[in-house]
Parts: sequence; C-alpha cells; structure tokens
Amino acid sequence: MMLSDHIRPDCIKIKLEGRNKAEVIEELVEVLSDARCGCDADTILEAVMKREHDGSTGLEMGVAIPHAKCDAIDRLSIVVGVSKEGVDFASQDGKPSNLFFMMLAPRNESGPHVQAIAKIVKLIKVDGFRKKLLKASTPAEVIEVIRKVEEGED
Amino acid sequence: MNNPIKKILLYVDGSESSITAAQMAIAMTKAHGRQLKVIYVVNENLLTELLKAKIFVEVEKMDYERDLEEDGKRYLNYIVKLAAGKSVNIETVLRKGIVHEEVAREVDEYGADLLIQGELGEVLSLRDSHYEEGERILRKVKCSVMVARDAKKIEKIFEQL
Repeated sequence: MMLSDHIRPDCIKIKLEGRNKAEVIEELVEVLSDARCGCDADTILEAVMKREHDGSTGLEMGVAIPHAKCDAIDRLSIVVGVSKEGVDFASQDGKPSNLFFMMLAPRNESGPHVQAIAKIVKLIKVDGFRKKLLKASTPAEVIEVIRKVEEGED
Repeated sequence: MNNPIKKILLYVDGSESSITAAQMAIAMTKAHGRQLKVIYVVNENLLTELLKAKIFVEVEKMDYERDLEEDGKRYLNYIVKLAAGKSVNIETVLRKGIVHEEVAREVDEYGADLLIQGELGEVLSLRDSHYEEGERILRKVKCSVMVARDAKKIEKIFEQL
C-alpha cells in the first residue's frame, strides 16, 4: 500500500491551532469534514473520541495516530496535522505530540486500515522523516516527503 | 514425462495483485488439469505487534481480528466464484498467525508443487525487505514460487479461457 496515494492535499493541515487533545481531534475531523462534504462529522468525532477514551493513541517521538472504524465514511481516510508547538496527547513518552495521522475506515475495510496504520508506524521510524514533515510548509510538500520515503528515495 | 506440477497453492491477501495471481493460477489449472487451493492468512502477528506498540487496545485487536477473518472469507469466496466462472474447482483454506509461516505450513501439508502469489509489496530499505510478507514467503516455502506480473497480459489470458 502506498500511503501517499491515500492522502489528499485538502486533508492536510500544516498549522494546527488546537491546544489540547480534544481540540486537535476536533480540528482534524473538521478538516476531513470540509474535504468530504456531506460526511457526518459528529459521528466521526464520537468514534475517534471513544477510541481515545479506551487508551491514548499518542505514541513516542511526537507522533499520534488517532483512529477509528466508522460507517460515516465510505473509504479509508487519512488526515495529517502538524503542530509546531506540540500538544499534550497523553503520549507514551510523556512528550508533546506534533505530528498527527488520523486514520478512519468503514467497518468493512479493516484490512487496508490495519495496513495503513502499520505503514505509518514503519515510516515514523525512518531517519529524518519526522523532521522533514515538521519542516514542510505546504500540503504538497507533506505528500512529497511521504512519497519519497515510501519509494525509498530518502 | 510426468507433469512436474500437480498441485498449485495460490496465496491471496486481498490486494489487486492477488487477483492477478488468482487469474494466473486459474488459467494454469484449467490449461493443464491441475489441483488448485487458495489460502488467505489473517495477519495475527501484525495485530499483536500493533497491540504491543500500544496503538491498539486489546478489545480493538480482537475486533480487527474478527473483521480480517470476515475479509478473508469474502476474498476466498470471490476467488471461488472467479474459478467457477471458468469451470475450475478450487479448495480454500483460511489460517491465522504469522503469514509466511502459515503459507509455508500449508505448502507442506497440501503437498504443493508450486506456489503462486501476486507482486511483492514495496519496501523502504533492504532491511525492510526482510519483513515484507511476500519476500518472506519466497524465502520460507520449500516449493517453487511464481510471482504473477503484468496484470494486463494475465487478464487477457484469463478472459480468453
């Protein structure tokens, strides 16, 4: 799976404004809702927050992968958010999170969803990947950084 | 001379390239009267890794496992229909565990002479290639392996059956 094929420029927000977990998740859902007119933002938000309630998706190294299965969307959807300042996301290492990959999939597409999450986990371990994403100044640059790492150019 | 390939095992993972592999396997089976079996493996290992990395919680892992099993059944049914459309009988098996190990086990138990699979997944580095399931299957199984390539050509062959 090429993750960069599933990330649309209008599903990327470079300067997140949220100052805590709830605000960031709301912002990411809003980005998706704006990009996919007609999707039920409230249902998506509820699904993502419910999952966070079961356990934080804030990982180490400033990365968080909020995710959920949700029938309010019809295909695998990925929203990328960047917060230069970082946000307390109850991460595993206790450090602020500044790279967010929100992954949503309908219930009958669990296979691609799991593959996509595993792919993100693999990518964030690649040297320099996170640094380059934080430096990206446009959605197109974000996609290019991801694509290059996926294709082994970086 | 005896036919050196009597039993073919087809490995599918739900990807587009799996369908290409299925078309190739069905075409070979129909053309030469071989036995064909298709395997899908629920990647339990990946789910466990995501659980260990605390990306999944326990209940979520179980939920995804059920979903993947349903996905697998759906893929297998689709391949059966694809084969039936060409009057080819096909057996199915769904396993759970570490993908390459389960495929290798099935190769042994079924007595496959040839394993057919789709294109290998993309890798980020040489080290990464050691963890790609298609690559691991290539290295692990004891029988010969065919990687189905050129989807357009294979589709044409399949349509002409």
